[in-house]
Amino acid sequence: MKNEKKSERRLAYILVAPSLLLILAVAIWPVIQSFYFSLFDYRLNNPAKSALHLDYSLNLERYLENYPFLMSALKQEIAQATDAEKEQLESLQEKLQQVDEEIRADKEAAKRYEQVDEILNNFEVPSEELKIVSIDEEAAQHLTKTISETKQTLKTLNENGQLKQGDKLTGLANGLSGAVIEPNFVGLAHYKNYLSDSRLWKALWNTTVFTVISVSIELVLGLAIALLINKAFFGRGLVRATILIPWAIPTAVSALMWKFLYDGQNGIVAKYFADIGIINDMSELLTTGTGAMFAVIFADVWKTTPYMALLLLAGLQTIPSSLYEAASIDGATKWQQFVKITLPLLKSSILVALLFRTLDAFRVFDLIFVLTGGGPANSTETISILAYKVMFSQTNFGGGSALAVIVFICVAIISTIYIKILGADLISDRK
Amino acid sequence: MQKKAGPLFYVFLFVFVFLIMFPFLWILLSSIKPLTELFGDEAFNWFTSHPTLKSYVSVFVNYPFLKYLWNSTVIATITTVYTVFVAAFAAYAIARLDFKGKSIILGIVLSVSMFPQIATISPIYMFVKKFGLTNSYLGLIIPYTTFALPLSIWLLVTFFRKIPFDLEEAAKMDGATPLQTYFKVILPLAVPGIFTTSILVFIAAWNEFLFALTINTAENYKTVPVGIAMFQGQYTIPWGEISAATVIVTIPLVIMVLLFQRRIVSGLTSGSVKE
Repeated sequence: MKNEKKSERRLAYILVAPSLLLILAVAIWPVIQSFYFSLFDYRLNNPAKSALHLDYSLNLERYLENYPFLMSALKQEIAQATDAEKEQLESLQEKLQQVDEEIRADKEAAKRYEQVDEILNNFEVPSEELKIVSIDEEAAQHLTKTISETKQTLKTLNENGQLKQGDKLTGLANGLSGAVIEPNFVGLAHYKNYLSDSRLWKALWNTTVFTVISVSIELVLGLAIALLINKAFFGRGLVRATILIPWAIPTAVSALMWKFLYDGQNGIVAKYFADIGIINDMSELLTTGTGAMFAVIFADVWKTTPYMALLLLAGLQTIPSSLYEAASIDGATKWQQFVKITLPLLKSSILVALLFRTLDAFRVFDLIFVLTGGGPANSTETISILAYKVMFSQTNFGGGSALAVIVFICVAIISTIYIKILGADLISDRK
Repeated sequence: MQKKAGPLFYVFLFVFVFLIMFPFLWILLSSIKPLTELFGDEAFNWFTSHPTLKSYVSVFVNYPFLKYLWNSTVIATITTVYTVFVAAFAAYAIARLDFKGKSIILGIVLSVSMFPQIATISPIYMFVKKFGLTNSYLGLIIPYTTFALPLSIWLLVTFFRKIPFDLEEAAKMDGATPLQTYFKVILPLAVPGIFTTSILVFIAAWNEFLFALTINTAENYKTVPVGIAMFQGQYTIPWGEISAATVIVTIPLVIMVLLFQRRIVSGLTSGSVKE
C-alpha cells in the first residue's frame, strides 16, 4: 500500500512536470527577465546599447577593423614627417601600442583577439558572442582616453595641413572610438525617472479611473440583469447566445466597430448621444479627454457586462429556492430577501467575478489601443499602453520593461487583496 | 427563484437583446451600403436603397484577408491542441492523484493566468527575434502558451474533479494502474470538459492582440484582429471594408456560440461557482 502511494506520487509529478516547465519557461522566466532588463539602458536602435552590458567591454571587430590600419598608416606618416610632427606622431604610436598590450594582457581577451583577427583576415564576420569581450574598467578608460587624445591630435594636425594622409588617419581614429562599450547598467534609475514623471502618474490614474468605473458599472448592471433573467422563460438559449457574442468577438475588432459608431461625423451612436443630450457635439466623444474616457468605458461595459451577468447568474442558480420560500412565509420583503439571502450567498461568486474583471480592466490594452490609441493628448493612455509605446515606438526596452514591472506589481497587489478576502476558497479542492 | 415571466419581462428582454446586438446590426447594415452612403447625411439612414456587396469583394481582393483568416486558424488550432494535450495530464494529476504541493501548483497556475501580458512581452519579443521566429506561426504559438496553458489546466481541473471518484476506486480494485485508469476510465468521461476547454482556449488564442501586433508584423503572417485593426490607413479609414470584415469574422462566431452556448457557459462559470 505504501509503495502504491509512492508510485502514485511519482506519476503525479511526472504528469505535472511538462506543464510546470512550460509555465516556468514562457511566463515566469520572462517576468524575471523583464525586471532584469529594466535595470539597463537597453535600446534596440542604438548598437552600443542593444545588449545588456554589466561591465566595460570591447567590440573586437570594430577595434581590429581600425587599429592595425591606423598603426600602419601612422608608421608611413612618420617615415615622411618632419621632425616636429614626427615626435607627436611617435608619441601617439607608442601610447596606442601600450593600450593594445594592456588589452591583450588579459588571457581571455588575448585569445579572442587572435580569433577575431583571423576571422577578419579571412573576410568573414565574427559572431556577436565572440567579438564582444569584457575588459576591466581601468583598461577601458585608458583606451577611451588614448583614442580621444589620438583623435584630437590627428584632427589638429590635419586641419593645419601637416599630414599626408590626414583624412584616412582621422577616419580610422574615429572608427576606433566606437569600439569601447560602456556598461549600460543603470540600476533603479528607470524606476526613479518614471516615478517622478507625471506621465506615469497620469497613466496610472487613467487606468484606475477606467478600472473602477467600468468594473462597478458592470457589476451593478450585471447583477441586475442576472436577477431579472434568473427565471424560466421562452427563448433562454437565444438570450444566452446573444450575451456571449460580445464576449466572444475579438476586442480589437469590437473596438474598431465602436470607433465607427463613435465617429464625429458619421457615427450613429455619437449622433444618438448628441440627440439625447449626453454630449453637446458629436465630435466630443473622440476629441475631448472626458469624451474619450467615457467612450472607452462605454465600449468596455457593452463588451463585458453580459459576461459578468452570466457569471453571477450561475451563482444565483446555486441558491436553493426553498430559502426564498421560507423567507416569504416569514414575511420578508423582496429587498430583505435580496440583502439577507442573495447577497451573502452570492458573495464568493461576486468576488471571483470582480477579481477577474478588475485584473482584465487593469491590464486593458487592445480596446484603448485600437479605439483611441491613448489619445487625445494621452487622456486615455493606460499604463499598458504607455509601456507598449516606450518599448516599441521609442524602442526603449529598459524603460518599457520598468513600466511593465510596475504593471506587474500593481496586478500582484490587486490579486493579493482579493485573494485575502476570498481566502483559500479559490484553489481548494471542490468536490 | 423560479417564477413565470410576464409580458413586461419579454419587452425588457427584447430591449436588452436589441441593445447588445445593435452595434452588430449597424455594422451589418453598413457593410452592404455603397461607399457614398457611409458618409454625410445618408450615413444615418438605417436601410440603404442600393445594397451592394462591393465592400465584401474588396476585403478579399484588396486585402490578404483570406491569409489572415488562415493564419489565425492555424495558430489558434495548434495552440489549442498542444496546450490542452499537455494540460490534460497535469490537470488529471492535480484533480485525481494524491501528492504534496498540489495547492502550490494550482496557486502558481492561477497567478500565472493573472500575469499582465505586457510584463512578459519584452523578453519574449527578444527571444523570438533572436531565434528568427518573428513572422512565423511558431513565433505566436510559443508566447500564446503563457495564457493558454494556465487557462486549460484551470478549467480541466474543475472538470476532472466532477467525475465520480468511485469509478477510479473500482478500476483500482480491478487492478488497473493509474495510467490505465486515466486513459480507459477518466479520459472518455472527460471528453465534454476537454471539448469545452478547447473552445475557450481557441477563442482566447483567436482574439489575442498584443503578441500578434508586435511579433507578426508582416502582411503574410498577421492574424485577423491585427489585420482588421491595421486596415486603417494613415489618413483614411475604410469603414466599408472594416464593416464587411467584421461581419465575416462575426458570423462563424455566432454560429459557434449558438451551437456550443451551454458548453461555453459551463466553462466560463466552472472556475467561479461553488457547487
